This record gives sequence, structure tokens and C-alpha cells, in this order.
Amino acid sequence: MNFKLASVDSLIIYFGDEISQDVASKVKTAYSCLQDLKLDGIIEIVPSYSSIFITYDIFKYDFNSIKEKLKESINLEKTVNEKEKIVTIDVYYGSEVGLDLEDMSVKTKLSIDEIIEIHSSKLYDVYAIGFLPGFAYMASVDERIAMPRLSSPRKQIPKNSVSIADTQTAVYPQASPGGWNIIGRTALELFDKNLDSLSPLSVGNKVKFNPISKEEFLKQGGVI
Amino acid sequence: MSLEIINSPIFATIQDKGRFSYTAIGVTNSGVMDEYSYLVANKMLGNELDSNIIEIAFSNVHFQAKTNTTIAITGAKCELYINDVLKSTWQTFNVKAGDIIKVGKILEGTRVYVAVKDGFDIQKEFGSNSTTIKENLGGLDGDRLKKAQVLPCSSFVQSHNTRLKEQFIPKYENELELRVILSYQNEFFPQEQIDKFFSSSYEVTNDFNRMGCKLKGQEIACDINGIISEGISFGAIQIPSDGQPIILLKDRQTIGGYPKIGSVLPIDCFKLAQVKPSCKITFKPIEIEEAQAKQKEFYSSFLA
Repeated sequence: MNFKLASVDSLIIYFGDEISQDVASKVKTAYSCLQDLKLDGIIEIVPSYSSIFITYDIFKYDFNSIKEKLKESINLEKTVNEKEKIVTIDVYYGSEVGLDLEDMSVKTKLSIDEIIEIHSSKLYDVYAIGFLPGFAYMASVDERIAMPRLSSPRKQIPKNSVSIADTQTAVYPQASPGGWNIIGRTALELFDKNLDSLSPLSVGNKVKFNPISKEEFLKQGGVI
Repeated sequence: MSLEIINSPIFATIQDKGRFSYTAIGVTNSGVMDEYSYLVANKMLGNELDSNIIEIAFSNVHFQAKTNTTIAITGAKCELYINDVLKSTWQTFNVKAGDIIKVGKILEGTRVYVAVKDGFDIQKEFGSNSTTIKENLGGLDGDRLKKAQVLPCSSFVQSHNTRLKEQFIPKYENELELRVILSYQNEFFPQEQIDKFFSSSYEVTNDFNRMGCKLKGQEIACDINGIISEGISFGAIQIPSDGQPIILLKDRQTIGGYPKIGSVLPIDCFKLAQVKPSCKITFKPIEIEEAQAKQKEFYSSFLA
């Protein structure tokens, strides 16, 4: 753990300098310790791939005292498995919503069914959330279907599009410009004002994509 | 019991101190750009210091009072009319039902603040009234204020009006020095680049909004091109590959992958919130201990 100043009232803890499962699992453990701590004076805890950014109340702590407090609270040996949450995201992988499936099929020399099978057979880790509220960066996508971002981003990616960029996968919680490859669509709201947590996902969760039929997708309220 | 908007404002939003504890799922902090003007307005009204307020950029917002109430107007120097009588800002006014309040042309600074006694009575979304348009959160409908919208407020009238002492009214000039805590990836910037950063003068570009402020000037080089995306503080200074600093402000993205040389002291960002494009910006280093002392001094002065 490497503590670094971020601003007058924030600091950042680094757990490594690479994107890997090992580093992500340290972030996840530390994040769980910090959430359990419920320390009065901590304003924000923002986990990402290899770091946790923390904002604190400078009327309660200075940089050194918060650093000491956090250091003694984080136990990287802690087991957090009992809290592991698996979120299933139902996906309709039809060609009318999976805008880049055909192109990916040509590039990967895999059939569309094989791409769907590969994407939906893996359990992904949520490494970071950002870019848009509820936009979760998940990894790692099987190398066989890893696909670089589009050379020219789309002006408007439809809401709830399921996408791939390199070895990461994500769902666009709202319509947005973007350069990820679109392979399907879900009816699940990833940024939902009706949820207290605002999103069904948080960093450290695991995600399973479940292929569904067009009928099922429409029944769930999906929009084509 | 309300204020009604009777023209079409270019860009006015409801703001407060901001929305906290949702950054981890990608929701930005939002909040007023200039906390000094915000806190003074609420203080003059005897409000809770985190009461909501209207933040007006690009001038021209006309209201009609639908009740007798007390308002405070702070921030940028502007042509302010109440029932066509020119008034000066940084004071409270008792207005009567039917009065027309016009915030006209902005003369110095860029953002005007209009507060009302006890704040506007609007439901908070996730702990805050702050409007973040890109997230469709806060305000009346997650968007900027529009003609004919009605802002409910109390009909409490203060017995006397307050005017801020002249010496506390900021002068908005075309030069600003920002104090910077070296932080984040500062070690990846060679010393001569850091020296260049602190000895150069930058210019504020038109790329300046609630998300951030892009500067133009001496290019700053970093030993690394990008970093693994990580949490971004208010005031963080990103150095993208073109070497031109971007200071991230209230509606900043929550995580990002550009190297950061340091962070501007928030109380200086509040001054930055009032400058215009072409303003000259210089940077000065400050140590964390002194920075925290200055920051606490600022907030403590409103608690007295």
C-alpha cells in the first residue's frame, strides 16, 4: 500500500501499478475494510482498478492522522468472500441491437453464436465505475473476442448497450457518445434512481451475462 | 409562495454544497462553482450554510416574486434591477409579491448567485439539490432552469437588510494566482517541467465550464503518457499529452486516466470560477499543512 497526497482534503492509496486480478483483489479487500470502518470524517471512498481515492473532513483529520487511521484499518489478509455478490445481467444479443457483432465475427473469424457463447460463459469482475453514473468497467474478456475501440466513436450509443473494448466489457447506462463495440442490449437499469444504492453494481462485484431471447427481452421492458 | 422565472435564462441552475458519497458509482459531486459567493449569500440571510441557491452564468435571468420574501444576490458584478430600479449586489433585499427582479448583463466576474430566505423548497435527490445536467440529477427536473418554472420559497421577511462590507467584496480581475499542492503523479514530472509549470503564465481558454477549465501556455511534459484510471479530486490538474493543463471542477468525471501534477486549493478554485477566458493564470506551490490551515480558515470564517 502506497499512500499519496491527492488534494487538500483527499488522498489516494495505490495497491499496485498494473491492471490485474491480484491488484483488484487487494483493492476489493481494502474497500471492504474501509466500508466496514464507517469512520466519521470520511466523505468519499472511490475504488478503481489499482487504487482507492478517499476524501476526508480536514476539521477532523490532517493528512498524517487520516493516513495512520486508514493504515491500521486496512487488513489485506481479511477474507471478503462471504460478501461476494454475483449480479446477472440478461442480454439480448440480436443483430438489431448488437451493432458490431457481424463486424466482430469477420475480424475474429468466429461465428456470432461463438462470440455470444464466449462473452456469456465467463464471470467478470467489476474493476471500476465511472465515465457515466453506473458505467462499470468489467474484465477480463476472453482474448478471442477482445476487440479494440472503434476507430471513430459513435455519436450516440443506445442506452443499455452491452459492449466490449479490448479485454473489458461494460453496459452503457444511458445513451452516450462512445467507441466501444456493441454486442447486445439489456433491460436492466444500471443507473436506477429507484435504488438506494443508485446502481445494482459496485466495485468488487462479479457479473454474469445471460443470453435471452428477443421475446424475453421485450417482456422485461427492453427497448429495440 | 415562490419565485417564478419569467424569461428564458441561458444557463441558470439550482446548486448547493454538492452531492456526496455516490462518487464510487460514478456520480460527480457537483455543487456551486464559487463557494465564497454562495456562503456569503446564505450567511446574509441567516440560512443554513448548505441551503440551495441559483447559480447564473451568462447573465439575464428575470424573476417575479409571488410572495413577500427576502433574497440575497452575490457573485459577479451585474446590472441588477428590482422593479426597474438599478441596485448593487452583495446585499439582501426585501421583495414584495409582484416585484420583478432582473439579473441583467454581467460586468465583472462570470457567475451571479441568487439565494432566498430558508432556501428554495425543492426535494433533494440523493442528498442534494445540485443540478448535474449530464446525470439528469437535482434541480427541479435534472436540467437548467427554464421559463415559467416556479421555485417554491418561504414568505419570511427579514426585519432588516444586510450589505456586505466593501472590503469583503471580491474584485474580479484578469490575473489570478492559484496555489497548488503537488500530488498524485507529481514524481513523474521532471523537476525542470515542474519549475516551468510554476514560472509560466497560462491563459484561460473558452473550454471552461462546470466540469473543468482548460488552460493554454507552456507545454508541460510528463514521463508517462497515461495512468490507470483513478479517483479525481476537486481542483486536480490533469496534464494530457498536449501538455496543456486542465483544472477539474465541480462536475468533473469521477475517475480518469491522465497524469495529474497536483491539485489547486479549493478556495482558489472558487476564485477561478469567476474569471473569464483570456484571464492570466499563474501557479504557486503550497505545502499540505499550510493549505489545510488556509482552507479551514475560510470555512471557519462563516461559522462565527
